[in-house]
Amino acid sequence: MTPYWDCNFFTFFIVMIQRAFFFLTGHAEALASDEIQIGVLSAVAISCGMIGPFLVLNRMTMLANSLSHTILLGISLAALAAGLLWGGEWFDITTLLAGSFIAALLTAFCTETLTRFFRLQEDASIGLVFTGLFALGITIVTLYLRDVHLGVEAVMGNADALQLSDIRLPALLIGINGVILFVFFKQFQLASFDRSLAQTLGIPVGVFRYLLLFLTAATCIGAFRAVGVILVLSLLTGPYLIARLFCCRLTALLVWTPVVGVASVCIGVALSRHLLNVHGLALSTGGIVTGTIALIYIFVKIIFHFRKKWQRALFSV
Amino acid sequence: MDAIFHAEELNVNYERTPVLWDVSFSIPKGLLVGIVGPNGAGKSSLLKAALGLVKPLSGKIEFLQQPISRVRQKIAYVPQRQSVDWDFPITALQVVLMGRYGKMGWFGRPRRADREAAKKALEVVGMASYADRQISELSGGQQQRLFLARAFVQNPDIFLMDEPFTGVDLTTEKEIIELLKKQKQEGKTIFIVHHDLPTVEEYFDWVMLLNTRLIAYGPTSEIFQAANLAKTFGKMPTVFDEAASLCAKKMSGYL
Amino acid sequence: MIDYFIDPILRAPTWGCMLMCLSSSLMGVIVFLRKKSLLSESLSHASYPGVVLGVAFLASFFPFAEEWAFLVVLIGAFGSSLLGLYGIEWLEKKGKVFPDAALSFILSVFFGVGIVAASALQGSHPSWFKQVQMLIFGQAATMTDIHIVIYGFLACFIVLFLIAVYRPLQAVLFDAGYAHSLGIRATWLERSLFSLLLISIIVGMRSVGVILMSGMLIAPAVAARQYTNRLPIVFFLSGLFGVGSALIGHILSVEGSLHWSTPESRFSLPTGPFIVLVSTAWALFSLCFAPKRGVVFRLARIFAFRLRCLQENILKYLWKKKSSSSKDLHSLHRSSLFSLHWVLRRMVRHGWLQKKCGSYELTGDGYQKAAQVVRLHRLWEVYLTHSLGREVERVHKNAEEMEHILTPDLEQRLTLLLANPKKDPHHQPIPDKYSL
Repeated sequence: MTPYWDCNFFTFFIVMIQRAFFFLTGHAEALASDEIQIGVLSAVAISCGMIGPFLVLNRMTMLANSLSHTILLGISLAALAAGLLWGGEWFDITTLLAGSFIAALLTAFCTETLTRFFRLQEDASIGLVFTGLFALGITIVTLYLRDVHLGVEAVMGNADALQLSDIRLPALLIGINGVILFVFFKQFQLASFDRSLAQTLGIPVGVFRYLLLFLTAATCIGAFRAVGVILVLSLLTGPYLIARLFCCRLTALLVWTPVVGVASVCIGVALSRHLLNVHGLALSTGGIVTGTIALIYIFVKIIFHFRKKWQRALFSV
Repeated sequence: MDAIFHAEELNVNYERTPVLWDVSFSIPKGLLVGIVGPNGAGKSSLLKAALGLVKPLSGKIEFLQQPISRVRQKIAYVPQRQSVDWDFPITALQVVLMGRYGKMGWFGRPRRADREAAKKALEVVGMASYADRQISELSGGQQQRLFLARAFVQNPDIFLMDEPFTGVDLTTEKEIIELLKKQKQEGKTIFIVHHDLPTVEEYFDWVMLLNTRLIAYGPTSEIFQAANLAKTFGKMPTVFDEAASLCAKKMSGYL
Repeated sequence: MIDYFIDPILRAPTWGCMLMCLSSSLMGVIVFLRKKSLLSESLSHASYPGVVLGVAFLASFFPFAEEWAFLVVLIGAFGSSLLGLYGIEWLEKKGKVFPDAALSFILSVFFGVGIVAASALQGSHPSWFKQVQMLIFGQAATMTDIHIVIYGFLACFIVLFLIAVYRPLQAVLFDAGYAHSLGIRATWLERSLFSLLLISIIVGMRSVGVILMSGMLIAPAVAARQYTNRLPIVFFLSGLFGVGSALIGHILSVEGSLHWSTPESRFSLPTGPFIVLVSTAWALFSLCFAPKRGVVFRLARIFAFRLRCLQENILKYLWKKKSSSSKDLHSLHRSSLFSLHWVLRRMVRHGWLQKKCGSYELTGDGYQKAAQVVRLHRLWEVYLTHSLGREVERVHKNAEEMEHILTPDLEQRLTLLLANPKKDPHHQPIPDKYSL
């Protein structure tokens, strides 16, 4: 019986803080399913929030969307290879990471080839690549991986069936993203701001672009179980757009974006619990988190809009 | 004469059209040089080809008789202002600091000395009080000064500036020219893609007249006169125009 | 084969997919030319909440899924993707968000809301939920005759509409601002086009699913564009390729399903991915092999040009030196001696060269051709020095390139312009134009 069985939206947080307190003072209790949800989703939100700003600033979000679809192909190829070559587990971490690497490489390579070598406009290149590779992925899954459930769950995830072990991959990615972004911060920053200066200073912009894509693919895979490939895009884009409304320094944004992400997760999970307890609706928590991000964006935008109006009114008085 | 900037039969295409055609020149150091020509004449492409941002079809272009990869540290590039997203979440000081990134290597971090140099550069351009301002709050003139500060902080021997005075108020323009003249007195060489003809004679020691072909270059007093200007800004001779574009099409396999 | 069109079970998916792809490939040309191909991706995802809400609305009246009622749900889908479209525009204009970030945000957020609504539906009305699920992945196989009617109607409407508004459409696609200044009701036209786009996306999702829908818009247009520069032909080819891919993809999926099925397990390959694979493969093929723009042909042309340059350089060299061994000629050609021999043999075969005592000489025809090349070279040098004011030392290298490029027409104009010069800037004689 979950400790949150009787909570509404507000009492949810009270119970959570109480339990956190108990936890910290040594009363080790098993984590409730809601808390596991918050934990895993927060890890996903943090790993997404770290690379989200760079994706938006480099205008690579639709490429990330493309990537989140071609991951299906990457994983199915990796799973096939794992099965054929060393009889490995379908979905252990190495297979998944290998799959993400393949997906990132394929997507980036195909899109670049179409844009540079075939001189096709960028939007059509991205669209052609991801629909083609996704179709290929579905075909491979249908033909060779029928027993492996890569269907609906891959697309939408299932935030309502998370285990604590699911936190491993997102947590690993927080580590990887963190280290790489810390070490190469100045290169990512410069390449995103002024590509031509970066090139003239001798920074290999292409390498960093591929690196960013690889991190995105790996992060998507980390998010895959929890929110699915489509909703991961909301965690990559949304929190950055919200944070940008009130923060204007890249270093600070790299902190605020994950924070906004985690806040959306907490509010989303609480809302989901509230709807279940109070209204009897069992809804997809992943979807609710996404909806929360949208609501927060609208909310913050309205506040800032009125703040400007009040400021102007105050000045004229 | 030891040329600081040198090109030989440089040909640059953009897709199927030629933007630079058989361009050859040799510019000595210590000058303020203006690159002048009509729109789309290849002026930006000249800078980009020199910096290795664009690959020429044939010919060569060098600084200090060495390929660009070896002299990167000595050249400061100031791109056109619209090539950058001014809504980027970054302060003025951080933009100037970027000028030092080339010297820090892969894993380096900005040190105190770099920060001090950046602040000093901001002072020189008159933007010291804007150090912590978000760049979207800056006016056109201020943005241009910021770019100049970023170039100064690199401590280069050569400046390459692409249309630095577009959308900039007159005071800023005059101040920037004064700063650049001081740099010239310290032995630096400055190349500016310039679009405003009335000020050419006042600003530049040498001028390069470019309209896909290099019409003429040399001391402003000699080169900058009616006959050359007519050739630069007038219509391209039709035979040349057709032949050059035929050449570009053949080279890229479209014909 | 004819069964696909007549058989009561097979005909609906066949005709349905073909007509649906006709509509989407025509609208795809418009988004492609506007460089907004990814808009279809966003809009298809944005329609999801509308579908679910529409279904929920209907479900309250009809507890069990009704095939015809589902078509009414399209109104909900249209509404929500229209809302998505406004959202994208608003974010770009008022929110100062980059276009691609706006697309991504709306895409994911709307889809998320849709998932929430769908999860509610899953509990209360499972049979309706299944219908909704079909939208994400598409299920062409369960189409019925009524779909043929709907898609046929839509396709006809789109074709007639495009024909009717063709002139203003062409103006708007090329330069919307200018079209507006001419008095063409550009805004009205754009709105209608986007509405048609939405409709074709929404009705099309049924067969290929949400994710693959944008493939059906982009791939045929990309392919068509490689073959022609004329807009009406682009539309025609795009429609043709769309219909073709739909037919072939559908046939492949049915045949494949039969092939891999066993009596125990009925295996059914989804149609959507196959249609997309066929049209994407065709798009890639067109990018490579289209007659004028295809990469393969471009590379072939570049190679042929380089070969001709080498041949003409050999001719010129022999014109000056009279005869030469292949070793001396090697200085003209940076690659292997073997390929040089191949070129020389080819030139002997074509009658430009002859081999005498181990070295090569020009034939009579070869001599004339060489003289022509030299003429073009020296004419160009005169042009550069006299008309363009180049220094004499600098003209040679450029003339080395241009001699292979000047056409007879340009040569004639140069001769006239320069008053048929007899000597080049290096005081070498210019050969006369050779007469047939």
